[in-house]
Amino acid sequence: MLNKCYIQATSAISPQHTFEGEFHTQPFVASTRNLLNVIEPNYSGFISPNNLRRMSRLLKIGQTAALKCLVGSEFPVPGAIITGTGKGSLHDTEKFLKNIREYEETALNPTPFIQSTYNAVNGLIALQQKCTSYNNTFVHRGFSFESALQDTLMQLQEGVESVLVGSFEEMSEEHFYIKGRIGHWKEGATNETFLADNQTTGSIAGEGSAYFLVTAKPASRNLAVIEGVEMVYKPTTEQLGNRLQKFLAQHGNPTIDVLLTGENGDANFAHYYQYLHQQFSPSTTIIPFKQLCGEYDTASSFATWLATEILVHQSLPLSLQAYNTASLQNVQHVLIYNNFMGEQHSFILLSK
Amino acid sequence: MGERVFITGVGMITAIGDNVAQNLRSLQAQQPGIGYTQYIDTIYQSILPVAEVKHATATLAAMAALPNGGEGFTRTTLLGLIAMREALANANIEDASEVGFVNASTVGGMCDTENVYFDIVDPSKTGSFLQYVDTLDCADCTQRIADVVQFQSHISTISTACSSSANALMYGARMIKHGMLEKVVCGGTEALTRFTINGFNSLKNIDKQHCKPFDHQRNGLNLGEAAAYLVLESESSVKRNNSTVLAELSGYCNTNEAFHPTSPSPDGDGAYEAMQKALAMSGRQLNEVQYVNVHGTATLNNDVSEGKALERLFGSKVPKFSSTKPFTGHTLAAAGAVEAIFSVLAIQHSLIYPNLNFSERMEELNISPETQLLENYTVDNVISNSFGFGGNNASLVISSAQL
Amino acid sequence: MIISTEETKKGLTYNIMEALKQQLKEQIIEALNLQDTKPSDIDDNAPLFGEGLGLDSIDSLELMVLLERNYKIKVEDPREGRKILQSVQSMAEFIQSKQVA
Repeated sequence: MLNKCYIQATSAISPQHTFEGEFHTQPFVASTRNLLNVIEPNYSGFISPNNLRRMSRLLKIGQTAALKCLVGSEFPVPGAIITGTGKGSLHDTEKFLKNIREYEETALNPTPFIQSTYNAVNGLIALQQKCTSYNNTFVHRGFSFESALQDTLMQLQEGVESVLVGSFEEMSEEHFYIKGRIGHWKEGATNETFLADNQTTGSIAGEGSAYFLVTAKPASRNLAVIEGVEMVYKPTTEQLGNRLQKFLAQHGNPTIDVLLTGENGDANFAHYYQYLHQQFSPSTTIIPFKQLCGEYDTASSFATWLATEILVHQSLPLSLQAYNTASLQNVQHVLIYNNFMGEQHSFILLSK
Repeated sequence: MGERVFITGVGMITAIGDNVAQNLRSLQAQQPGIGYTQYIDTIYQSILPVAEVKHATATLAAMAALPNGGEGFTRTTLLGLIAMREALANANIEDASEVGFVNASTVGGMCDTENVYFDIVDPSKTGSFLQYVDTLDCADCTQRIADVVQFQSHISTISTACSSSANALMYGARMIKHGMLEKVVCGGTEALTRFTINGFNSLKNIDKQHCKPFDHQRNGLNLGEAAAYLVLESESSVKRNNSTVLAELSGYCNTNEAFHPTSPSPDGDGAYEAMQKALAMSGRQLNEVQYVNVHGTATLNNDVSEGKALERLFGSKVPKFSSTKPFTGHTLAAAGAVEAIFSVLAIQHSLIYPNLNFSERMEELNISPETQLLENYTVDNVISNSFGFGGNNASLVISSAQL
Repeated sequence: MIISTEETKKGLTYNIMEALKQQLKEQIIEALNLQDTKPSDIDDNAPLFGEGLGLDSIDSLELMVLLERNYKIKVEDPREGRKILQSVQSMAEFIQSKQVA
């Protein structure tokens, strides 16, 4: 089993006010439709104008979130950079496909092709921080961030002192339309209504980027501890339950104070969440998180960021006040359960 | 740290053969696989040579032995499945449920989605093309392969451009060393696409002739398509199961150049460090390396950078080296695994492959690649290099099997 | 005042050249998204790469696209490209030499 790691710094760009100021006291940002876009920060404080000028949206989001995390830590040049992204830069992929057609394969701008490469963000972070060590990018839908996290724990156990681990995902209007054609989105829903209706299929789309600077040993800040990560591929509900029990047993069967759950209002996958929730006693506060970030391949990284916030503040942020209960105090363990389209299921366990 | 990692199965399909044996025969016969595309709809059909697998997608579906005729399966997946079936059979794996799978891809199912993309985004169009909506990402091929051969343990997908499958091998080996898996199949699959042909052409990186790695007159790469998988197995599993060992994955390293988004540093800093650290991990000395299967794309920058790194690492005693990309083309995400298998074959059959199309030494270098097929040449340790965009450098050390 | 035809020609060539350079500067700013740069900031002879505008090899590929799309001039060899793309002056001279030819 892999050892735990200590979170020294975090960052998140999301549809909520997570990047600047104090998220804990910020109000919930409601959406007007079934697509949640991130609140884009001012990039110029992080990326030079000469670099910024040709970067596409996801590259800016992914690199800025990474730099914010590194700048806020005592490890500006981490021992490894490991990321996950399910779809990479959709805008660049779409743009290059269109350019091929529009210009009939002649005189094509190379920039969208270069930036459509899944590891483009990783390369840029390494370049800016002059980080010449291990660098990897996982691209497996709902396992992308989880695999990056597993690789991170492996690197730390192999002797690397610090790792920058994170994810970045965007939802373009075009890709939103495409996925709508195969029923991914709930018609007419917003982030205030989609969870109430799990009798119909579809969810709400989202996007975001979150990073963590983690160390093998305690360091100066120790915001929270990542105890472990577990991935389960296409399980039955019973198999899922067994893997949960096994995972918790490996970590000493801790009392789970908060379960952050990825339920997304989609009737196709509601049974997994219902079954999972039944595995916990009433003392566990169960809180959904996709009303804050929407559904996307690496939404579990946002949940990991949120879990860290809850552990640091020992209370729920204002945007989750609707779920608050008097019993929520002395939060020692937060478990995240998520699945992506019913195929990739994962658990991430954090502690104080 | 951890157990030794052995290679106990290999499977591949490239432009020079539908399986490992055919690939070996083509290498020995010095028969390259580069020509003009039969299957890609592009204005460069008879202008830019490629190394294409010589079968239509429907034929690949039959070769992959798919019960449903391959409906909804992309060419990327089919190539992968053919190589996967061979690798599992070669390792005598009948039940894959406990075996891990680390796959690599750079553009997923682009080969098929690019042909229907503008129908997919057109609200007025509808039809069976909609089954390809979800095949564009890199996980599609991994999961379809996993579902057909029934992988139920770890599955993941890596994408670090041209070093993707070398990183997949590294990740799988590390999972074994951590005791997380006993067996894991690692490699990559890549189908030719209009997207990548135009992408590399927009970088002015494609030669209109057969590529000439490490030649003064080199003028870029030829793209290729392939899938290749290696079964990695822990030492204790090998002993317990009495598995046939083909070679050992004795060392590996991944570094980042942090130099430029698409170009390597002129002195090959990243390549040097990756090779040096991989060799250190293997416990082998410089003079124990008989062959380097270089990345050798034949782009202006790569070959200078990689050649400088070889000279820095080995000094005046650079071992035999060659690029096999004039045979297979540059197969991007599959390249690391294709060349890892070629390294295994070099050890098994005491071979050094010729670097085809070489005639004139680069003025920046004091070394030239091997141009002849060398037989009965004892090879115990091979360094195999894969370097990609984003400064991602990966080196593997593959060694003769000595339990 | 009598102006020789030779001088008229020279003057016209001069004006065409100046207009071409001005147009090139605007196109370069747009193609490379040089947001805070005005055409007047770019000196005709200042090096575009390295020191001057701080452009790199990807920009040089983008400028070759600019030449191909706007002037129908194809630069095949990246080594040749480096020479042509030294400065706005060298680009303009190259375009003119091609158009005359």
